[in-house]
Formats: sequence, C-alpha cells, structure tokens
Amino acid sequence: VKEYILLFVSAALVNNVILARFLGLCSFMGVTTRVDTAVGMGMATTFVITVSSMIDWAVEMYLLQPYGLGYLRTVTFILVIAAAVQFTEMTVKKVSPTLFQMLGIYLPLITTNCAVLGVALLLVEGHMNFIASACFAFASSIGYSLVMVIFAGLRERLALAEVPRLFAGPPVGFLTASLLALAFMGFSGMSTQ
Amino acid sequence: MDMKVHLDCSAGNLVEANARIVAFDREGAWLEPEPGTSCGSCASAAACGAKGLGSQASRLEGRRFRLAVPADLAIGDRVVVGMPEKALVKAAFTAYGLPLAGLLTAGILGQSVGLEQPLVLAASLGGLGGGLMLARLIAARLTRHGDTAPRFLRRADAGIAPLQRRPSP
Repeated sequence: VKEYILLFVSAALVNNVILARFLGLCSFMGVTTRVDTAVGMGMATTFVITVSSMIDWAVEMYLLQPYGLGYLRTVTFILVIAAAVQFTEMTVKKVSPTLFQMLGIYLPLITTNCAVLGVALLLVEGHMNFIASACFAFASSIGYSLVMVIFAGLRERLALAEVPRLFAGPPVGFLTASLLALAFMGFSGMSTQ
Repeated sequence: MDMKVHLDCSAGNLVEANARIVAFDREGAWLEPEPGTSCGSCASAAACGAKGLGSQASRLEGRRFRLAVPADLAIGDRVVVGMPEKALVKAAFTAYGLPLAGLLTAGILGQSVGLEQPLVLAASLGGLGGGLMLARLIAARLTRHGDTAPRFLRRADAGIAPLQRRPSP
C-alpha cells in the first residue's frame, strides 16, 4: 500500500504533468478561464488518461514488445487515445444524453492533449505492472485536474484585479503559472519514484 | 403558444451559456448551444486539429436540447441558459468518476487476491462496466429530478457581435 501511496504522491504532486513535466499546456492556458470549465475538462481528461493508459499498457505488453514493434509505439498510442475518446463519447451519450450535452464539449479537446500521450509513454519507460500503471495514470490525471482547477481559480481572481495594460491577459497568466510551478517545486524531494 | 417558464435563480452560482433557438414543438423550444471559448473559436482554430477528428461532441446538432422559453421568442433568437455549478460537478463525477472508481477498485481487488495480469485487466474492465451501469442509474435519477436540466435565464444581447460588425463607410 505504501508503494502505491508514494506512486500517487509522486505522479500527482512531485512530478506533476503540467508544472513539472510541462505537458498539456495548451488546455492549461485555454480552458482555465473559469473554474467550472476546468472541473469538466479535468474530470473528462482523468477518465480518458486512465482508460487509454490501461489499453496502452495492454497493447505494449501483448503486442508491441513481443513482436518487436516498438517503433510503432507513438502512432499506436495516438490511435488508442483517439479510440478511447470516441468510446468515452459514445458511452457517455448512451449512459445519459443529458450528461453528454453538458460535458461533451470537452472531449474533442482531449484527443490533441499531449498530456494523454505523455502519460502513456512515461508508463512504458516505468516498466510497471498493470495496477501500478493504472494508479500512475490516475494520479497523473488527478494532478493535472488539481492544477487546472487551482489555476482557474487564480485566473478568475486575476480577471478582477488591476493589472498593468501590457501584462493583462495571457502574460499575467504565464507569470502566475510560473509562481504556481515554483510552489509545486516545494514537493520535490518527497518522493523520487 | 402558451408555455410555462420556470425562472429559478435561487440555486447559488449558475454556469451560463449562450444558445440559439432552432425549432419549436409542443413541449418547448429546441436550442443549439453556441460554440464555447474552449475550442474552435480561438485565433488558431483554422490550424488546430482538435475539431477534425470526427468527434460527435464537436457537432452542435448533436447537442441540441429542449427547453421551455417565453412565448415571444422566435427561431433564431439567442438566449442565455444556466445551470447550477453543483449540477455540473455532480454530472462530471457521475459520468466519469463512478466508472473510474469501479475500474480501479476491481483492478486493485484483483491484484490483491493474486490474479495474473491479464485477469487483473479483465477484472478492471468488468469494474469499468459495473461503474458505467451505476452511472447510468444515477444519471437517470438526476435527469428525473431535473437536477441537470438547463434553465432559461434571459434573452441574450440582440445585435451583431463586435467582431462581426461591418465597418461604417
């Protein structure tokens, strides 16, 4: 259990996908103008990262490695991610058309989110077993969602603050992101996994 | 057309969005949401591949919904609809959180009883299916109680958006 807790803390906080690995910056800046959109995007991304990483693990273990097809890894993983997003859309629509209307807008953005591919490729490097892979992917995506919501909250406040004209908008957003990254550096040293 | 409009602004913070009336039927108006700021409307929309993957959610026709609106509105009018923030979080948790919880719980249980890796994978998929079924039940209950239904708030500003306005000669 301790091993999994360390893995979770490491993936979510110490090696945060956005602030330590600098993945998913497009959605980080684009979808964090409001907290509610950040929550919706975060939850959708969490689901897709976990499910696609699980499938990617199976594809890597039972197809790419045994047949020496490692050079097809990136292409295969992109295909799996696109399929996972389509599966998620179809499933959510089937489970509840109302929820699909509310949440479906975030799903097309995930297909091109490099954080999803990044997490899958990190799993391959980590040589983990299935559950460790699923926990790592889940924790990474929780870290992604956490940072999205924190940053959206900060940007909502920044929108009301008096900012010099040249810094208004994205520039002050990037400055805030850098301060947030510095704050997250405080977690480094907690876990080295 | 005599339609009863329920205006309820007592539910705390509301998430607002613009929609356009595209049709009327006996039970109300059909509205089509306007593309949000998140995708397809930024300066890089033409070069961005986010919308080009045949995603169902990117097609606005697929996201039409029915709503009771005041009788003086007509097809083409833009309105502002709202939904409580809590409803969005609840919906996100139901749609994504429950299946994920099922997936991870079943996988961890399978691992803890010493199953082989392919069986752990199968157990996780079973947990995902179970979570989806539970999500379906809860989503049906939310829909039945009207928790996730959008509400008509007001008519959106009439006129053309500033960027689309023609320059005066």
